[in-house]
Amino acid sequence: MVVSKMNKDAQMRAAINQKLIETGERERLKELLRAKLIECGWKDQLKAHCKEVIKEKGLEHVTVDDLVAEITPKGRGKEYKLCERKCGLRHDLFSLLLVQVFFFFNKEKHSF
Amino acid sequence: MPPLSSGQRGGEGRWQPSEVPWTHTNIPPTCVQPCCRPLCYEQSEHRLHKSSQMKMEEMSLSGLDNSKLEAIAQEIYADLVEDSCLGFCFEVHRAVKCGYFFLDDTDPESMKDFEIVDQPGLDIFGQVFNQWKSKECVCPNCSRSIAASRFAPHLEKCLGMGRNSSRIANRRIANSNNMNKSESDQEDNDDINDNDWSYGSEKKAKKRKSDKNPNSPRRSKSLKHKNGELSNSDPFKYNNSTGISYETLGPEELRSLLTTQCGVISEHTKKMCTRSLRCPQHTDEQRRAVRIYFLGPSAVLPEVESSLDNDSFDMTDSQALISRLQWDGSSDLSPSDSGSSKTSENQGWGLGTNSSESRKTKKKKSHLSLVGTASGLGSNKKKKPKPPAPPTPSIYDDIN
Repeated sequence: MVVSKMNKDAQMRAAINQKLIETGERERLKELLRAKLIECGWKDQLKAHCKEVIKEKGLEHVTVDDLVAEITPKGRGKEYKLCERKCGLRHDLFSLLLVQVFFFFNKEKHSF
Repeated sequence: MPPLSSGQRGGEGRWQPSEVPWTHTNIPPTCVQPCCRPLCYEQSEHRLHKSSQMKMEEMSLSGLDNSKLEAIAQEIYADLVEDSCLGFCFEVHRAVKCGYFFLDDTDPESMKDFEIVDQPGLDIFGQVFNQWKSKECVCPNCSRSIAASRFAPHLEKCLGMGRNSSRIANRRIANSNNMNKSESDQEDNDDINDNDWSYGSEKKAKKRKSDKNPNSPRRSKSLKHKNGELSNSDPFKYNNSTGISYETLGPEELRSLLTTQCGVISEHTKKMCTRSLRCPQHTDEQRRAVRIYFLGPSAVLPEVESSLDNDSFDMTDSQALISRLQWDGSSDLSPSDSGSSKTSENQGWGLGTNSSESRKTKKKKSHLSLVGTASGLGSNKKKKPKPPAPPTPSIYDDIN
């Protein structure tokens, strides 16, 4: 039963996700998020960090993996949370997302 | 662990390419290989069965759904953020590899050069505010030291180039031409002045007008006035803007003046009224009196061109009138004594003429008398003269 529940959850998540992609909402949300992050300076902070990493590793030898490994945790860490609060990401984007999810869920109730 | 749905990231933190989203037929994502089809079919059937069961279950779990949905939303949100991060990483990596990552950085030396200045008395570029006010430049032409803010206009005049200086120069030339040459040389003036536009030519036109010969035959033209307006073209004759002093006018001019203007002499200023022939300030009687005074007994108001019913008024009245009037060399009258209709009026005036000649020696009375006469004349009549229109014949009618 737990499995089924998890299955169900997963399926629900999957279905909603898929629905978001299909209608293009996900892309729109992504653009909105990007704009907000630039606005609150999150991108500049990350860029500064990138520069440090690059200077450490040397310009020629930087790989994508390196960058990802270094930057992603920072990108989602404390600074991100600060930025989030600063530009009200939680309010705008997240609530928007939530609404979408609810909407899709209600639509898809029958197919579940 | 159930197979991951499309687009989700694994727990390792490595991204995976998002797979083709599966449709509502609930085909699990792993089954993309055609060889797996029979298996998938079975599985999908199984799942379908389960989903119908789940529907029933879900009805009862509606309360939990909200929190679940929120959790789902959180996850999706996190996914979005991670996507952005990754996207950013790719951009940076590409920039590094293509070599334009560090382009927008400036080297520390130039950074120091263009640092924002924050000292009192300076702007952010480090310039002093009033620096150019007190500075003096040396003019290369005349070697004088000129204040910086006046330098440009000074140069313009000093070098003789630029719009203003050429205008002034042209004007000066034209003025000197005007002084030297007479009017007959107008053509030459025009040639010189052709290049100039309104600015200078207006001034020249004005000056030229005032230099006109006062005795030229064209003089009378300049005396034509519009209603209520004055002519500015003759500053010599006209003292004040309100009237004309008639003493200096010649007979020709007087005549022409009186044909166009009211001409009544005001008590206060001793000047002729320059308003129109129908000016409301003065009566027609006054006007006629003035004309008679100046031009003799045969003078008529220009309005009244038709023959007057010249049944002369009382002799006594006329004599009384004439005795008070002063005649100033009005010998160019027509003193006909015959009894023609036209001349009978003249007769009445002719008496006056005769008597006036004898009274030429009488000292001139003040203009007050003239005006008084005019008004007295008006009051002597039985009927008062009507305002404008043709009043004069009616007066004569009454006398008849």
